[in-house]
Amino acid sequence: MYQHDVLVIGAGLAGMRAAIEASRMGADVAVITKVHPVRSHSNAAQGGINAAMGGEGSDDTWELHAYDTVKGSDWLGDQDSIEVMAKEAPQDIFELEHMGVIFARDEFGRLATRAFGGASKQRTFYVGDITGQALLHVMYEQLLKAGMRVYEEWFVLSLIKEEGECAGAVAMNMMTGDIEVIRAKAVIMAAGGIGRVYEPSTNGLICTGDGMALAYRIGAPMMDMEMVQYHPTTLKGNGALLTEGARGEGAYLINKDGDRFMKKYAPNKMELASRDVVSRSEAIEIQEGRGVDGCVYLDCRHLGEKLIRQRLGQIAELALEFANVDIVKNPVPIRPGMHYIMGGIKTNADGASYVPGLFAAGECANVSIHGGNRLGANSLLETVVFGRRSGKAAVEFARSKAKPVRISETMLVEQQKAKIQKLMDQPYPGYTSARVRLEMGKIMDKHVSVFRTEQGMKEAGDTILRLMQQYHKLSVRDHGKVYNWNLFSTLELENMLDVAEATCMSALARKESRGAHSRLDFPDRNDKEWMKHTLVYKAEGGPKIDYLPVVITQWPPERRTY
Amino acid sequence: MKTVNLKVKRFDPATRKSKFQDYQVEVDDSAAVLDAIIEVREYQDETLAVRCSCRSAICGSCAMRVNGHAKLACMTKVSSVSPNGETIVVEPLGNAEPVKDLVADMGPFWAKVKQVQPWLKPSLPAPDREYIAPQEAMQDLVGAVNCIMCGACVSDCTVLEVDKNFIGPAALAKAYRFVGDPRETQTARDERLSQLSKYGGIWDCTHCYECVQVCPKDVAPMERILDIRRAAVAAGFRDNNGTRHSDSFARSVKHTGSLDEFRLLPESLGLDDIAAQLKFVPTALRAIAKGKVPSPLHHKRPGAEHVTRIFDEMEKE
Amino acid sequence: MRYAYYPGCVSQGGTPELFTAMKAVGEALGFTLEHLKEAACTGAGVLQERDPELGDTLNARTFAMAEKRGLPLMTICSTCQGVMGQANYRLKADPEYRTFINKYLKPEGLEYKGTTEVKHFMWVLVEDYGLNRLKEHVRRPLTGITLAPFYGCYVLRPSKKLGYEEHPRRDTYLEQIITALGATPADYSGKTRCCGFPILTMNRTNSLRMAGDHLLEAQETGADAMVTPCPLCHLNLDGQQPEAAAVRKVQLNLPVIHLPQMVGVALGIEPKALGLNKHIVSTRAFAAKVPA
Repeated sequence: MYQHDVLVIGAGLAGMRAAIEASRMGADVAVITKVHPVRSHSNAAQGGINAAMGGEGSDDTWELHAYDTVKGSDWLGDQDSIEVMAKEAPQDIFELEHMGVIFARDEFGRLATRAFGGASKQRTFYVGDITGQALLHVMYEQLLKAGMRVYEEWFVLSLIKEEGECAGAVAMNMMTGDIEVIRAKAVIMAAGGIGRVYEPSTNGLICTGDGMALAYRIGAPMMDMEMVQYHPTTLKGNGALLTEGARGEGAYLINKDGDRFMKKYAPNKMELASRDVVSRSEAIEIQEGRGVDGCVYLDCRHLGEKLIRQRLGQIAELALEFANVDIVKNPVPIRPGMHYIMGGIKTNADGASYVPGLFAAGECANVSIHGGNRLGANSLLETVVFGRRSGKAAVEFARSKAKPVRISETMLVEQQKAKIQKLMDQPYPGYTSARVRLEMGKIMDKHVSVFRTEQGMKEAGDTILRLMQQYHKLSVRDHGKVYNWNLFSTLELENMLDVAEATCMSALARKESRGAHSRLDFPDRNDKEWMKHTLVYKAEGGPKIDYLPVVITQWPPERRTY
Repeated sequence: MKTVNLKVKRFDPATRKSKFQDYQVEVDDSAAVLDAIIEVREYQDETLAVRCSCRSAICGSCAMRVNGHAKLACMTKVSSVSPNGETIVVEPLGNAEPVKDLVADMGPFWAKVKQVQPWLKPSLPAPDREYIAPQEAMQDLVGAVNCIMCGACVSDCTVLEVDKNFIGPAALAKAYRFVGDPRETQTARDERLSQLSKYGGIWDCTHCYECVQVCPKDVAPMERILDIRRAAVAAGFRDNNGTRHSDSFARSVKHTGSLDEFRLLPESLGLDDIAAQLKFVPTALRAIAKGKVPSPLHHKRPGAEHVTRIFDEMEKE
Repeated sequence: MRYAYYPGCVSQGGTPELFTAMKAVGEALGFTLEHLKEAACTGAGVLQERDPELGDTLNARTFAMAEKRGLPLMTICSTCQGVMGQANYRLKADPEYRTFINKYLKPEGLEYKGTTEVKHFMWVLVEDYGLNRLKEHVRRPLTGITLAPFYGCYVLRPSKKLGYEEHPRRDTYLEQIITALGATPADYSGKTRCCGFPILTMNRTNSLRMAGDHLLEAQETGADAMVTPCPLCHLNLDGQQPEAAAVRKVQLNLPVIHLPQMVGVALGIEPKALGLNKHIVSTRAFAAKVPA
């Protein structure tokens, strides 16, 4: 058995930032992650990180940043949390810079910015189009500097709940197959998003909603799980992400006739409207026959080769490698693709979930910054602001505890062993976990995507229920101890099915259109009845839905146009 | 759709033995090698172990050897390595112990990264806002920061094959990221350059371009190593054979237009290092016996004065 | 077949037999080689490491000399080829850079316009001369002989800058030539690896380990000799073979011949005229095995 003050699950930006903060406060902190920290999906954020820095010659303010975020959220974000983020953002950017991030500079050697979607001012700080990677690697450097214990390539099987509080985790060392108990006075969940619940998705194969499902199972509710973001520019073919930074640098979206169709949908902000708006516009263009082969185009040609090489090098490489298009010379076919979930484990602005001792930060959490739609470059910001805050809060919580060991270690381990043994003992049902996942992903992408209907979502919900039945018959045929992918992928599927079900049920419940949740049968926003958060609890007989008011501080709802 | 023939080197952790196993899968025409491997493990053989995640050449998980060279499987098109349906041979990274199948033990890799103290050591206290730094310096570092730590360079490094103590291309490229950062203090930089000039460091690179060739992100680790060498020499860390070799080389080319091989070896070793000189005596004697030792009377090539002039002008700048 | 000829420093110093052999082979194949005696050392990567622009200037100077004669440039050294090839890649790609470099050539009345092709003899044989034409000149086919190719890093990597887009199979030319001459190429993993020469003075043990490993692997294929287009590799593989054997605690006795020597033998040129007597590891058994 291992014991720490604080255990952080997940080593992306939010997790590492939380761990570093907790470590700075003198706590005994450990990080547990199923992949090496720099393999985490924070890498994939390309465009940048937002902050209203103000300063010389700038008329940007934290209020404007907060307002843009509220508007982007379609008034579903909690304004108290949004204020916290917008106010604290500049200091966190400076801290990242001090840690070593090589942010782009202006002619005076100061931090430079680029334009981004849904923002009224240019306030996105960046490193070429590899901002997430640049931040993630720097955060890892800081983790190394702090000399923290990292349970690297360990797979969390369950959270420990004792007397109503979260008290650690049971995990498997993926390299040995050993199951161990790691006790902690506080746990910070920072295990990222759910991309693989959808097929296709821009997300990595590791994004399987583990953190949400683990928390959900010990009683922490998830919030606004219906809010799933489709990114407007994902590459035809493999669905890889092409940064919003391209449009930030001035790239156009054009249909098959070469028209900048966004002028119809968002005459002011054009290509830089909110992501939900742009994705819907593309979907309409494609549906109405003005696309090509299920796609419209991202046109970078007028940006010139030099700018493309310096600031958009990675997407140029992706387009060339994966779609065989040289973006310097030709428009590249793109379409909306599942990218991010605004919903997640309900937390307050200190990362505390409804289960004492369990904190959450980053994509798996829902502090309620993004509400119905996340603005580009607010996700990296969320990871560092709320990673830091949850790290601090977790240490404070841990300090108030002197927790005796109650549930026996053996029992915790045996429970998991039995579960795994059952999977290994079952006969092969004629299908693999991948087949079940694929069917789940396809139905989610079909019915719980850009446009939704009652009937479609019901079909998706029914399918998920059927797939859950199928899941219970799955057989893990690899009985090896070392790096048993067959086992891990099966356990991940269990997590994904829970999340998929919660998403379907939450989406079915919300009978209006708001942010990314756009219903053909309820096309309008309905502030009177639906200006509220959806909470979903795990319960016997299926998810239990509840509601929570949205926190409004100074920005009452308005009509949302771009 | 097309059929892909994969020959996968599988390592069984229970028996600690490797064997090749053949698979045949159907994939899209545009598929990457990783797609074919995923197709195998998802539908044909769930016991096949491989690390992978982003499928966009950014997470660095899926580096492996494809037809003998390290590559990111996700950005290696089947059509590029098997244009006519040839069997694709897939193995775990080189210069690493296999853990299971295509999963290699990256422990030593990360230990080397840690060895270079990969964190910024800026002047303190930090300013209230950002450190002021020129964009050119930041842009120069983007090349190194592009590194995704996939290990392809280390896999194919020829020095690591014969000496595990070499810090290796990935960690040295990482070190350059700090050496070249204007925010680092002079003291920190000098300390780094001093450490990196020792055995196992920058002067042990053999300049073979393997890392440049296989790097999927154009980090060109070897070029970064050369950048550090330049910085180290400029900072005065000159008491090593690498610097002496470079000086001797430059001296003879500058003054004669060509390389004076007769002087190069002894001058590189250090004229006062008699022990090192003596070790080369048998080699030299054999060469003399075959009448192939370069003349001690190293003649100037015609036009050498222009070479001298070019050196003078460029050294001045 | 007329070339501006750049033999490089080592063929005129440490491996004089290469220079001799190329002269004989060039005459036999009807090459006209205009030796650029004023051309300077390429820098061999060493000068580039000190000052990349200095290295490129010295090479631009050489390219300008060839350009002035209206001739492509031929090298017989993998290292020279690689260093010049990369310099040429940079100079051709960027006219502004070329203008900057040309500033330093002007006092000598030279200017590089970016039109010179630089080709190793190995590439010339396959791409310009043609293997069929070469076969016609073979007087003593190397039948029954196995030869282990050893390329040298600089004609292989980085392929992006060495013309592989236009000539993607340059990494098989040595085998193609071996086959064309009637011999059998040995296949072994070390053939494209590093000989260790560049770190000879920095870390001699590692340098010899590399040489030793590749020699042993080649020897174990049953090869009669190793053949290399790089005289620097030759210095390590032949010149230090006894030391390499000692470091690896193995028996090594593998003759290492230069590419032009191999061609020369097949053309029927006397071993002595090819300098085959100048090797550290005796080439006698190899030469004797060549059918009369």
